[in-house]
Amino acid sequence: MVYVRKDVSRLTRDERRRFVNALLEIKWRGVYDEFVRLHIAYYTSDGETGLRAAHMGPSFLPWHRRFLLDLEGALQRVDPSVTVPYWDWTRDRSKTAMPWTDDLLGGNGRSLDRQVVTGPFAYGQGYWPIREGITDGGFLTRDLGRAGDPIVLPTKKELQAALADPVYDTSPWDSTCTKGFRNKLEGWGTGKDNVAWRNHNRVHRWVGGAMLGGASVNDPVFWLHHAFVDLQWTRWQRRHKKKGARYLPADPPGPGSEQRGRIIARHERMPPWGVTPDEMEDVSRIYRYA
Amino acid sequence: MAVSADGAPVGAERGTEGPERSGPERRTWWVIRRGLLASAAALVLAPVVGASRAPRPEGDPEGPEDTAESAFDEIYRGRRIQGTALPDDGCGAEGCAWQVTVDGHPLHLMRRADGSWLTMVDHYSSYRTSLEATRAAVDELGPGQRLRDLAPGPLGGRYAHMGEHHGVRA
Repeated sequence: MVYVRKDVSRLTRDERRRFVNALLEIKWRGVYDEFVRLHIAYYTSDGETGLRAAHMGPSFLPWHRRFLLDLEGALQRVDPSVTVPYWDWTRDRSKTAMPWTDDLLGGNGRSLDRQVVTGPFAYGQGYWPIREGITDGGFLTRDLGRAGDPIVLPTKKELQAALADPVYDTSPWDSTCTKGFRNKLEGWGTGKDNVAWRNHNRVHRWVGGAMLGGASVNDPVFWLHHAFVDLQWTRWQRRHKKKGARYLPADPPGPGSEQRGRIIARHERMPPWGVTPDEMEDVSRIYRYA
Repeated sequence: MAVSADGAPVGAERGTEGPERSGPERRTWWVIRRGLLASAAALVLAPVVGASRAPRPEGDPEGPEDTAESAFDEIYRGRRIQGTALPDDGCGAEGCAWQVTVDGHPLHLMRRADGSWLTMVDHYSSYRTSLEATRAAVDELGPGQRLRDLAPGPLGGRYAHMGEHHGVRA
């Protein structure tokens, strides 16, 4: 049975309540923090040695697709009706409207220490202690829009610029690629000003606090953000289907390539699951976006 | 491997003690107070340690790949930040391992292919030098918050992306 991932702004009150309750339940059981640890563990940067399964490489999209499916599966074991909603940050751009409402993710962090003090994930509620954080604060933090150095969310135009690229990814398959859908969506630029960070990266930066760091999974908005990023992959596939748009590279880099052993080609297995990008390209039998 | 074949995270049975409910307000206050004391101590030390940072080379280079970095040791926004190359780890073709701390707590740094730097605090943007990245990390730390040594990860007790001894090749 194919299930549906919905726009977060179109969830019913009951759907919001069920989604939040399922998150709190898996947090209580200790399952949620396993997801936080896993994401931290697989963050390999491209200026260092090692396989880049999750970021700064072509498998950014299939890795996070599988990661979302795992979280969704954990939520569905608590409540089979729950699916991960997506946050369309090209449309829902307010710091006080959906998804930042008290019956969903709660609001911005307070100015004193960026602590989220409203909604179900506020530390004071007692349900969402941060055990795998970068700092010892123990509470969820946000700095929506970066009060001290303001930035805006990515625009429709910026997202369209990524979707318009008919090539999935290009050599050298890392964060320095200026061509290819994958990095235009992942959003690594050059230079140090805020303009350099696009789409996916820019949203992490706009939310700030926990979402800016290695333990970004601590903020449940991570899943809503990545569901929308995942939706873009589906849109890109649909848009460029006639040209046979597929995941690249199809084959591993040859001997002598600096990227050999550093990235995952279409039929190579992604850790920790052992699934291939090829197997993650078509999810139409599992879920669809509405 | 932290996630089993059916997608259920392994070790889910752990942590069944539930959320901590013991006086979050009191704990927060304690953390802030402790942090203020630490900051005060750091400020006293400022004139001594602030002088040890080597000056930047003449002609500030444009790109991160051209930036030759010196060790640093300074007080930035009330926090002592220190960064050193680790000669004991050797300097190979990929460069030297670096270690950076904020108020004595390790700050994990990573390097991008263009030579710029990311930190654990700020994973979705990068900076020309490890000093700039460290300062940006301090900018993100709330009052009284300290960096935490993260618990061992699912990959055999070390993070996949962590260089040996929490250093990185630079």
